[in-house]
Amino acid sequence: MSNPILRVENLHVNFNTYAGTVQAIRDVSFDLNQGETLAIVGESGSGKSVTTKTLMGLNAKNAVIPENSRLLFKDKNLLELSEEEWQHVRGNEIAMIFQDPMTSLDPTMKIGQQIAEPLIKHQELSEKDALARALELMKGVGIPNAEEHINDYPHQWSGGMRQRAVIAIALAADPEILIADEPTTALDVTIQAQILNLMKQLQKQSNSSIIFITHDLGVVAGMADRVAVMYAGKIVEYGTVDEIFFNPQHPYTWGLLNSMPTTDTAEGSLQAIPGTPPDLLEPPLGDAFAPRNSYALAIDSKEEPPFFKISDTHYAATWLLDERAPKVTPPAQILKRWARWEELQGQEA
Amino acid sequence: MVKYILKRLALLIFTLFLVITATFFLMQIMPGTPFNNPKLTPQMIAQLNKAYGLDLPLWQQYLHYLVNAFRGDFGTSFQYQNQSVSMLIGQRLPISAQLGAQALVVGVIAGLLMGAASARNKNNKIDGLLGVVSTLGISVPSFILGIIFLYLFGFKWPLFPVSGWGDSFSQSVLPTLALAVTPAAVVTRFVRSEMIEALSSDYVQLARAKGLSEKEVVNKHAYRNSMIPVLTLIGPMAAGLLTGSTLIENIFSIPGIGQQFVSSIPTKDFPVIMGTTIVYALMLMVMILITDILTAIVDPRVRLQ
Repeated sequence: MSNPILRVENLHVNFNTYAGTVQAIRDVSFDLNQGETLAIVGESGSGKSVTTKTLMGLNAKNAVIPENSRLLFKDKNLLELSEEEWQHVRGNEIAMIFQDPMTSLDPTMKIGQQIAEPLIKHQELSEKDALARALELMKGVGIPNAEEHINDYPHQWSGGMRQRAVIAIALAADPEILIADEPTTALDVTIQAQILNLMKQLQKQSNSSIIFITHDLGVVAGMADRVAVMYAGKIVEYGTVDEIFFNPQHPYTWGLLNSMPTTDTAEGSLQAIPGTPPDLLEPPLGDAFAPRNSYALAIDSKEEPPFFKISDTHYAATWLLDERAPKVTPPAQILKRWARWEELQGQEA
Repeated sequence: MVKYILKRLALLIFTLFLVITATFFLMQIMPGTPFNNPKLTPQMIAQLNKAYGLDLPLWQQYLHYLVNAFRGDFGTSFQYQNQSVSMLIGQRLPISAQLGAQALVVGVIAGLLMGAASARNKNNKIDGLLGVVSTLGISVPSFILGIIFLYLFGFKWPLFPVSGWGDSFSQSVLPTLALAVTPAAVVTRFVRSEMIEALSSDYVQLARAKGLSEKEVVNKHAYRNSMIPVLTLIGPMAAGLLTGSTLIENIFSIPGIGQQFVSSIPTKDFPVIMGTTIVYALMLMVMILITDILTAIVDPRVRLQ
């Protein structure tokens, strides 16, 4: 497992706008191992989508990436690729599943042809062979009576079926990394589960790695091996899925977990995180989450917290983990999670 | 599809009936008479009225006209004696239609190319230049452009003949260009905004994520999708161009239908006015029908409804 296929090192992405420079990604580093699923979690504006676009080389023209940022994939730094070299990577070595199946298929092109397109481009198949392979892919993603539907247009299909087609397009050229940008957000819940199961099953077959972008922690629990929590263009906590769910350390992770409905919270209202994310035109000094954080310390507004190690796989950037920090009591729900963590540890020992 | 076209044709005939009815009765409201030559004696006027069937009760006149109109017979011109309206239109409409078709082809092709170039270079110098050109093209009327073209390319640098029709193709160059500028400008602006929308759409993002080059993305995905709304614009535009431009025809002395239509109004040449109006209406409807059929071919979503 400890064989990173992708290394993101000190990634910064800035956007030059009329109002000034928006620092969308501020020093993000992570590894992605062969065959694993890494979930990147955060609310809107946390930089999840910019991260995916950067990994696909599809950022807007006004994006500026400083030279010390590196995206290492198969011994090459993706950020140094020419547009032509990028075209070889996109859809071939790194592919993407889009969020909204209702708008991400071309309404004027037959679905079979849309699936065949990356095959014609990357594997240089003839149109006939590519369509034959597209049919196999359609069967592989569970489209019933695929032969009859290969010449359908997107509007003839339901959202769930279209998302299967989008997945088939992403899988067409057998990519090593699959980036899924909220692939189930636009689907209703029963279809969500089907699509997630399909993705897991397909990953097992191909041993590809998945970067799973979402704001839905419920989805993360079933899908991911590891989780990175992003806030205001930074990763604030990362660890295995159990570590994030049962031993969370960053107050922002607490907030996210608290705002997720569970069977324990059937009564009363959901706990939202107060306030809004900061303006990344002028990111605040210190910990960006401090203004919304009821556990904030004085130092949070002055100095940025470094990553504190909790285990070999679990790190969190919060001053609460500093030995000089006062011990705080997290919300009741988090305490329950911690208790469950103790149990899990006990079972292992 | 065949059923759809038949349905549309039936609707077209009904609309045509409404147009004929409306024009006929509007003509009756119009004051004055075509026989206002002071030399005419009352007996002569009565004779003329009888000859043209104007002495009959109105409802008979109407039925007569309606039946004949559907047969393609719009009566005889008052102004040009013994010339049937159908013949007059038949002589002049093809000239206007040829000029209009040339202008349409030039205008639409130029518009498509400039619009796409503008969208792909959004907010840089090329886009800015094309923006100025298309704004000028929309705001400067075609007759002013016609006069400017006449002066520049007919007089200052005499590359093309300045007037006339039918002797050589070069005679049609300047009026075609003068007529093509406005449609080219309108299509440019329209294609630009449609293309910008298409280029920022999710399916174009997905096409890019497949590893297609920008050229492939534009040609295979963006163009086809931005053409759908452009087609609906071109239909009425085609009808307008094919039925002739009075001003351009006058400036370049082209014996088209537009010129004749205008001259028939002050002389109260009712059959010509009515005949031309009906032919205009028919052409507009046919163009819209053709547009709808083309849209169905390009857009699969329309095809199935």
